[in-house]
Amino acid sequence: MIKNSTPMVKITNVHKVFGGTLHVLCGIDLEVNKGETVVILGASGSGKSTLLRCINFLEEPTAGTIEVDGIAINAGENDKTRENHILDIRKKTGMCFQSFNLFPHMTVLENIIEGPVTVLGQKKKKAIVYAEELLDWVGLMEKRDEHPSRLSGGQQQRVAIARSLAMKPKVMLFDEPTSALDPELVGEVVDVMERLAKEGMTIIAVTHEMHFARDVADRVLIMDGGNWIEEGTPEKIFNNPEHKRTRQFLAHIL
Amino acid sequence: MKANTILPGAGGIPPEAQQVLNQIEEKKSKYRRNMIMAFVVLIIFMVTTLIVLGLDFKFMAKWLPFILAGSGYTFLVAFLAITLACILAVVGALGRLSTNPIFNSIATSYVSLIRGTPLLVQVYMWYLALPQIGKALEEFGIPGIQRLLTLPAVPAGILALGVCYGAYMTETVRAGIQSIKIGQTEAAKALGMTSTQTMKRVIFPQALRVIIPPVSNEFIAMIKDSSLVSLMGVWELSYRAIKVGRRHFQSLEMLIMVAFIYWIMCMILQFVQEKIERHMARGDRRIS
Repeated sequence: MIKNSTPMVKITNVHKVFGGTLHVLCGIDLEVNKGETVVILGASGSGKSTLLRCINFLEEPTAGTIEVDGIAINAGENDKTRENHILDIRKKTGMCFQSFNLFPHMTVLENIIEGPVTVLGQKKKKAIVYAEELLDWVGLMEKRDEHPSRLSGGQQQRVAIARSLAMKPKVMLFDEPTSALDPELVGEVVDVMERLAKEGMTIIAVTHEMHFARDVADRVLIMDGGNWIEEGTPEKIFNNPEHKRTRQFLAHIL
Repeated sequence: MKANTILPGAGGIPPEAQQVLNQIEEKKSKYRRNMIMAFVVLIIFMVTTLIVLGLDFKFMAKWLPFILAGSGYTFLVAFLAITLACILAVVGALGRLSTNPIFNSIATSYVSLIRGTPLLVQVYMWYLALPQIGKALEEFGIPGIQRLLTLPAVPAGILALGVCYGAYMTETVRAGIQSIKIGQTEAAKALGMTSTQTMKRVIFPQALRVIIPPVSNEFIAMIKDSSLVSLMGVWELSYRAIKVGRRHFQSLEMLIMVAFIYWIMCMILQFVQEKIERHMARGDRRIS
């Protein structure tokens, strides 16, 4: 396991309450080190996606602190720098969604250079060079000028990963990236995620893809009812789960 | 498009498949033929009706240039008014979707007030009532305001039409923006885009596709509603036709002629609309 002294992502006592009554996250703590791959498991509705979306503030945490690569934001504070800090955190985190969310009015290449050009203000030429490298890396060079609607789900998700990587993020968040895919297309996406992990990317993934959790993750966390009930190495979680709920959950999905 | 293009990798189309393909092709050409025939019959019917009515074509030809000269006003008013309407619609839609209470309430009352009153009343408001407001303000102590608010007919017409259509189109634009899935906003935000960048780069270009057909509709309606400026004595298309028709007691000829001119103008617009729509639909998977 690769360990580094300062955590890349540090979540402290995060709560999320929806609509004043629905307590989805109940005081979550999490530290993820640089280069670490963490997989979050849990039944649907347990709050995994919400936690992931709190990290880049697509969801505003109701309480607690989120820190990414040294930028910390408190849920309560509301000063002028807050908006900029949120944008900074988003620039440092890439996110892949269950439904890909590629921009349908742009070609594959345009999708990938959109972030660097619009957000980072890069020159188009420079952005294209790196975008082509990424396209090559995810194996979709020949789809460069296609629109997303012409691509299969697996291809779309790989483009979405390339789009996130174009921002040179420090952390990648995967929110059930293979759940919307036909079974035969899951492999190509997991393969890309695995290579990303091997190249030292810090990854937090919510996924039901057991191969990824078992063989690629450094650490697996089980969430239930808005908090962790168990965490450990994949070997420990899969072979020797302590908690009854963990055993129940694993029995369901394995 | 053509059914008998050779498919890649196919060694040859089996005869029974070819038969089905031929049937499909035959059906298509039959449909096209019937369509053309239907149109031809319709046109013959219209032309015969015109002849039976005993229209004075010489009279029509004589006055055509004079009537057509009014189309400049029609286009000027419609074009400037639709430009104004588009600007108001975008600003209005952003207001309707805004969380800023002042901006939002202004946009909401604008739409409600304008949609809730007749265009005819609004035209007179701009033309006849506004100077009176100016007079009151002038007496209140703002010098020169009455002159400023006393609008000539054409600007008053453009403002009336633009503001009115802007209110209707606000709702069109708002609906278009709201039709874009939340995932698009989330993806843009996740990349680090600001709200403005998200709207400009991701949401609006996609909303535009949804908005174009209803906006073209509005534009076509506007071309015809531009005749309302004749109420203020502007010598545009319909005003000229009505005047000439009345004076020579040949209103039928003039009205039919002016109707045709409007129709042709709208057909041109419809053609442009189809071009734009096709351009925007590129990269789309669609029903063929």
